[in-house]
Amino acid sequence: MPLITQVAEAVIADLNGATFSQPFTAVRSYLPRSELAELKTLKVTVVPSGLSVVTASRGQTQQDVAIDVAVQQKLTGEDNTDLDPLLALAEEIAAHFRGQRLTSLPYAIWVKTEFKTIYAPDHIDQLRTFTSVVSLTFRVIE
Amino acid sequence: MGDLLAQGAAWLEQQRTRHLATTVTYVRGASTADVLATIGRTKFEADDGHVVRVEFTDRDFLILVADLILAGQPTEPERGDLIREGPLEFEVLEWRFSDPYRQTFRITTKHTGATEV
Repeated sequence: MPLITQVAEAVIADLNGATFSQPFTAVRSYLPRSELAELKTLKVTVVPSGLSVVTASRGQTQQDVAIDVAVQQKLTGEDNTDLDPLLALAEEIAAHFRGQRLTSLPYAIWVKTEFKTIYAPDHIDQLRTFTSVVSLTFRVIE
Repeated sequence: MGDLLAQGAAWLEQQRTRHLATTVTYVRGASTADVLATIGRTKFEADDGHVVRVEFTDRDFLILVADLILAGQPTEPERGDLIREGPLEFEVLEWRFSDPYRQTFRITTKHTGATEV
Protein backbone atom coordinates (compact mmCIF):
# COMPACT_ATOMS: atom_id res chain seq x y z
CA MET A 1 0.00 0.00 0.00
CA PRO A 2 1.40 3.44 -0.85
CA LEU A 3 2.74 5.38 2.13
CA ILE A 4 0.19 8.18 1.76
CA THR A 5 -2.63 5.64 1.82
CA GLN A 6 -1.15 3.92 4.86
CA VAL A 7 -1.06 7.26 6.65
CA ALA A 8 -4.65 8.01 5.61
CA GLU A 9 -5.79 4.62 6.90
CA ALA A 10 -3.94 5.19 10.17
CA VAL A 11 -5.66 8.56 10.53
CA ILE A 12 -9.02 6.86 10.00
CA ALA A 13 -8.19 4.19 12.58
CA ASP A 14 -7.29 6.88 15.11
CA LEU A 15 -10.43 8.89 14.36
CA ASN A 16 -12.76 5.92 14.54
CA GLY A 17 -11.11 4.64 17.67
CA ALA A 18 -11.49 7.89 19.55
CA THR A 19 -14.51 9.52 21.17
CA PHE A 20 -15.51 12.97 19.98
CA SER A 21 -18.32 15.30 20.93
CA GLN A 22 -20.37 13.93 18.03
CA PRO A 23 -20.25 10.35 16.79
CA PHE A 24 -19.11 9.62 13.25
CA THR A 25 -17.38 6.99 11.18
CA ALA A 26 -14.61 8.41 9.05
CA VAL A 27 -14.09 6.97 5.59
CA ARG A 28 -11.29 7.33 3.06
CA SER A 29 -11.98 8.52 -0.44
CA TYR A 30 -9.94 9.26 -3.55
CA LEU A 31 -12.86 11.15 -5.05
CA PRO A 32 -14.79 12.62 -2.17
CA ARG A 33 -18.23 13.52 -3.36
CA SER A 34 -21.65 13.48 -1.81
CA GLU A 35 -25.21 14.14 -2.78
CA LEU A 36 -26.63 16.89 -0.63
CA ALA A 37 -29.14 14.42 0.79
CA GLU A 38 -26.36 12.18 2.08
CA LEU A 39 -25.07 14.97 4.28
CA LYS A 40 -28.09 14.91 6.56
CA THR A 41 -25.88 12.56 8.56
CA LEU A 42 -22.56 13.93 9.81
CA LYS A 43 -19.88 12.89 7.32
CA VAL A 44 -16.14 12.81 7.93
CA THR A 45 -14.04 12.06 4.89
CA VAL A 46 -10.29 11.43 4.87
CA VAL A 47 -8.53 12.35 1.65
CA PRO A 48 -4.87 11.84 0.80
CA SER A 49 -3.82 15.31 -0.20
CA GLY A 50 -0.10 15.77 -0.72
CA LEU A 51 3.35 14.34 -0.36
CA SER A 52 6.71 16.08 -0.28
CA VAL A 53 9.98 14.22 -0.16
CA VAL A 54 13.32 15.77 0.80
CA THR A 55 16.67 14.43 1.87
CA ALA A 56 16.92 13.95 5.62
CA SER A 57 20.49 12.69 5.72
CA ARG A 58 22.89 10.85 3.46
CA GLY A 59 20.86 7.65 3.73
CA GLN A 60 17.39 8.85 4.69
CA THR A 61 14.50 10.68 3.17
CA GLN A 62 11.95 12.80 4.93
CA GLN A 63 8.43 12.41 3.62
CA ASP A 64 5.74 14.84 4.69
CA VAL A 65 2.33 13.38 4.04
CA ALA A 66 -0.68 15.70 3.97
CA ILE A 67 -4.06 14.26 4.78
CA ASP A 68 -7.26 16.31 4.51
CA VAL A 69 -10.11 15.58 6.87
CA ALA A 70 -13.44 17.06 5.78
CA VAL A 71 -16.29 17.51 8.24
CA GLN A 72 -19.67 18.01 6.59
CA GLN A 73 -23.27 18.11 7.63
CA LYS A 74 -26.51 19.49 6.26
CA LEU A 75 -27.78 22.20 8.56
CA THR A 76 -31.22 22.41 10.05
CA GLY A 77 -30.56 26.00 11.10
CA GLU A 78 -27.95 28.66 10.51
CA ASP A 79 -27.62 30.15 13.97
CA ASN A 80 -24.38 30.06 15.92
CA THR A 81 -25.88 27.30 18.05
CA ASP A 82 -26.22 25.16 14.92
CA LEU A 83 -22.74 25.87 13.60
CA ASP A 84 -20.59 26.06 16.74
CA PRO A 85 -20.75 22.33 17.54
CA LEU A 86 -19.60 21.40 14.04
CA LEU A 87 -16.70 23.83 14.06
CA ALA A 88 -15.83 22.56 17.53
CA LEU A 89 -15.73 19.03 16.16
CA ALA A 90 -13.29 20.09 13.44
CA GLU A 91 -11.11 21.65 16.13
CA GLU A 92 -11.34 18.48 18.22
CA ILE A 93 -10.14 16.46 15.25
CA ALA A 94 -7.24 18.86 14.75
CA ALA A 95 -6.34 18.72 18.45
CA HIS A 96 -6.57 14.95 18.56
CA PHE A 97 -3.45 14.54 16.43
CA ARG A 98 -1.40 17.44 17.76
CA GLY A 99 2.03 16.27 18.87
CA GLN A 100 1.07 12.62 18.40
CA ARG A 101 2.31 9.62 16.47
CA LEU A 102 -0.31 7.67 14.59
CA THR A 103 -1.29 4.66 16.69
CA SER A 104 -1.18 2.08 13.92
CA LEU A 105 1.74 3.72 12.12
CA PRO A 106 3.98 4.97 14.93
CA TYR A 107 6.79 6.11 12.65
CA ALA A 108 4.44 8.77 11.26
CA ILE A 109 4.72 11.83 13.47
CA TRP A 110 2.40 14.81 13.39
CA VAL A 111 4.16 18.00 12.34
CA LYS A 112 1.51 20.46 11.24
CA THR A 113 -2.21 21.21 11.15
CA GLU A 114 -3.83 23.74 8.87
CA PHE A 115 -7.46 24.57 8.38
CA LYS A 116 -7.70 24.59 4.60
CA THR A 117 -11.27 25.72 5.04
CA ILE A 118 -12.24 26.73 8.56
CA TYR A 119 -15.76 26.77 7.26
CA ALA A 120 -17.13 27.32 3.79
CA PRO A 121 -19.46 30.34 3.82
CA ASP A 122 -20.62 29.54 0.30
CA HIS A 123 -21.77 26.08 1.39
CA ILE A 124 -23.74 27.60 4.25
CA ASP A 125 -25.25 30.19 1.93
CA GLN A 126 -25.96 28.10 -1.14
CA LEU A 127 -26.33 24.58 0.26
CA ARG A 128 -27.25 25.12 3.92
CA THR A 129 -24.39 22.77 4.62
CA PHE A 130 -21.42 23.02 6.96
CA THR A 131 -18.05 22.13 5.48
CA SER A 132 -14.73 22.36 7.26
CA VAL A 133 -11.46 20.90 6.02
CA VAL A 134 -8.56 20.19 8.35
CA SER A 135 -5.24 19.37 6.72
CA LEU A 136 -2.90 17.26 8.84
CA THR A 137 0.73 16.73 7.95
CA PHE A 138 2.68 13.73 9.23
CA ARG A 139 6.40 13.18 8.83
CA VAL A 140 7.92 9.84 8.00
CA ILE A 141 11.69 9.43 7.88
CA GLU A 142 12.91 6.31 6.16
CA MET B 1 -59.98 51.04 -17.64
CA GLY B 2 -57.33 49.73 -15.30
CA ASP B 3 -53.92 48.39 -16.09
CA LEU B 4 -54.36 46.17 -19.12
CA LEU B 5 -50.88 44.73 -18.80
CA ALA B 6 -51.48 43.78 -15.17
CA GLN B 7 -54.79 42.18 -16.09
CA GLY B 8 -53.16 40.30 -18.93
CA ALA B 9 -50.34 39.11 -16.67
CA ALA B 10 -52.85 37.95 -14.06
CA TRP B 11 -54.77 36.01 -16.70
CA LEU B 12 -51.56 34.41 -17.93
CA GLU B 13 -50.58 33.40 -14.40
CA GLN B 14 -53.99 31.81 -13.91
CA GLN B 15 -53.62 29.89 -17.15
CA ARG B 16 -50.15 28.72 -16.14
CA THR B 17 -51.46 27.52 -12.79
CA ARG B 18 -54.46 25.83 -14.39
CA HIS B 19 -52.64 24.04 -17.18
CA LEU B 20 -48.96 23.78 -16.25
CA ALA B 21 -48.97 22.96 -12.58
CA THR B 22 -48.79 20.01 -10.28
CA THR B 23 -49.79 19.75 -6.64
CA VAL B 24 -46.96 19.99 -4.15
CA THR B 25 -46.96 20.22 -0.38
CA TYR B 26 -45.43 23.32 1.12
CA VAL B 27 -44.07 22.69 4.61
CA ARG B 28 -42.93 24.99 7.40
CA GLY B 29 -42.51 23.19 10.66
CA ALA B 30 -45.84 21.62 11.49
CA SER B 31 -47.75 23.76 8.99
CA THR B 32 -48.39 22.35 5.57
CA ALA B 33 -50.37 23.44 2.54
CA ASP B 34 -51.10 21.70 -0.72
CA VAL B 35 -50.58 24.19 -3.54
CA LEU B 36 -50.35 24.13 -7.29
CA ALA B 37 -46.82 24.73 -8.52
CA THR B 38 -45.20 24.95 -11.91
CA ILE B 39 -41.84 23.25 -12.07
CA GLY B 40 -39.35 25.79 -13.33
CA ARG B 41 -35.68 25.46 -13.99
CA THR B 42 -34.17 22.16 -12.87
CA LYS B 43 -30.43 21.81 -13.02
CA PHE B 44 -27.86 19.37 -11.73
CA GLU B 45 -24.84 21.10 -10.26
CA ALA B 46 -21.74 20.37 -8.26
CA ASP B 47 -19.51 22.36 -5.97
CA ASP B 48 -15.98 21.08 -5.55
CA GLY B 49 -14.26 24.16 -4.25
CA HIS B 50 -13.35 22.71 -0.87
CA VAL B 51 -11.60 19.33 -1.39
CA VAL B 52 -14.95 17.58 -1.15
CA ARG B 53 -17.42 17.72 -4.00
CA VAL B 54 -21.09 18.26 -3.24
CA GLU B 55 -23.60 17.37 -5.93
CA PHE B 56 -27.11 18.68 -5.92
CA THR B 57 -30.13 19.45 -8.02
CA ASP B 58 -31.55 22.95 -8.16
CA ARG B 59 -35.23 23.28 -8.83
CA ASP B 60 -37.44 26.36 -9.07
CA PHE B 61 -41.13 26.22 -8.21
CA LEU B 62 -43.60 28.86 -9.36
CA ILE B 63 -46.44 29.30 -6.89
CA LEU B 64 -49.16 31.93 -6.94
CA VAL B 65 -48.79 34.39 -4.08
CA ALA B 66 -52.49 34.02 -3.37
CA ASP B 67 -52.14 30.25 -3.00
CA LEU B 68 -49.44 30.18 -0.34
CA ILE B 69 -51.49 30.16 2.83
CA LEU B 70 -49.97 28.60 5.94
CA ALA B 71 -51.90 28.34 9.20
CA GLY B 72 -54.59 30.50 7.65
CA GLN B 73 -52.23 33.36 6.87
CA PRO B 74 -50.85 34.56 3.52
CA THR B 75 -47.19 33.69 3.69
CA GLU B 76 -43.94 34.52 1.98
CA PRO B 77 -41.44 31.69 1.53
CA GLU B 78 -38.64 31.37 4.06
CA ARG B 79 -35.22 29.80 3.81
CA GLY B 80 -35.38 26.27 5.20
CA ASP B 81 -39.03 25.66 4.27
CA LEU B 82 -39.64 22.39 2.43
CA ILE B 83 -41.52 21.59 -0.75
CA ARG B 84 -42.56 17.98 -1.21
CA GLU B 85 -43.22 16.82 -4.72
CA GLY B 86 -44.38 13.24 -4.50
CA PRO B 87 -41.59 11.33 -2.75
CA LEU B 88 -39.04 14.06 -3.39
CA GLU B 89 -38.21 16.76 -0.91
CA PHE B 90 -36.71 20.14 -1.74
CA GLU B 91 -35.41 22.78 0.64
CA VAL B 92 -36.13 26.46 0.03
CA LEU B 93 -33.01 28.57 -0.25
CA GLU B 94 -34.29 31.84 -1.68
CA TRP B 95 -37.19 33.33 -3.54
CA ARG B 96 -38.21 36.34 -5.56
CA PHE B 97 -41.29 37.54 -7.36
CA SER B 98 -41.29 36.18 -10.87
CA ASP B 99 -43.38 38.93 -12.41
CA PRO B 100 -43.56 42.71 -12.14
CA TYR B 101 -47.00 42.56 -10.54
CA ARG B 102 -45.91 40.31 -7.67
CA GLN B 103 -48.47 37.64 -8.37
CA THR B 104 -46.14 34.66 -8.40
CA PHE B 105 -43.27 33.49 -6.23
CA ARG B 106 -40.28 31.92 -7.95
CA ILE B 107 -38.89 29.73 -5.19
CA THR B 108 -35.38 28.35 -5.60
CA THR B 109 -34.80 25.03 -3.87
CA LYS B 110 -32.27 22.25 -3.63
CA HIS B 111 -33.17 18.58 -3.63
CA THR B 112 -32.45 17.16 -0.19
CA GLY B 113 -33.63 13.61 -0.64
CA ALA B 114 -36.73 11.58 -0.15
CA THR B 115 -39.57 12.83 1.95
CA GLU B 116 -39.07 12.09 5.62
CA VAL B 117 -42.35 12.34 7.48
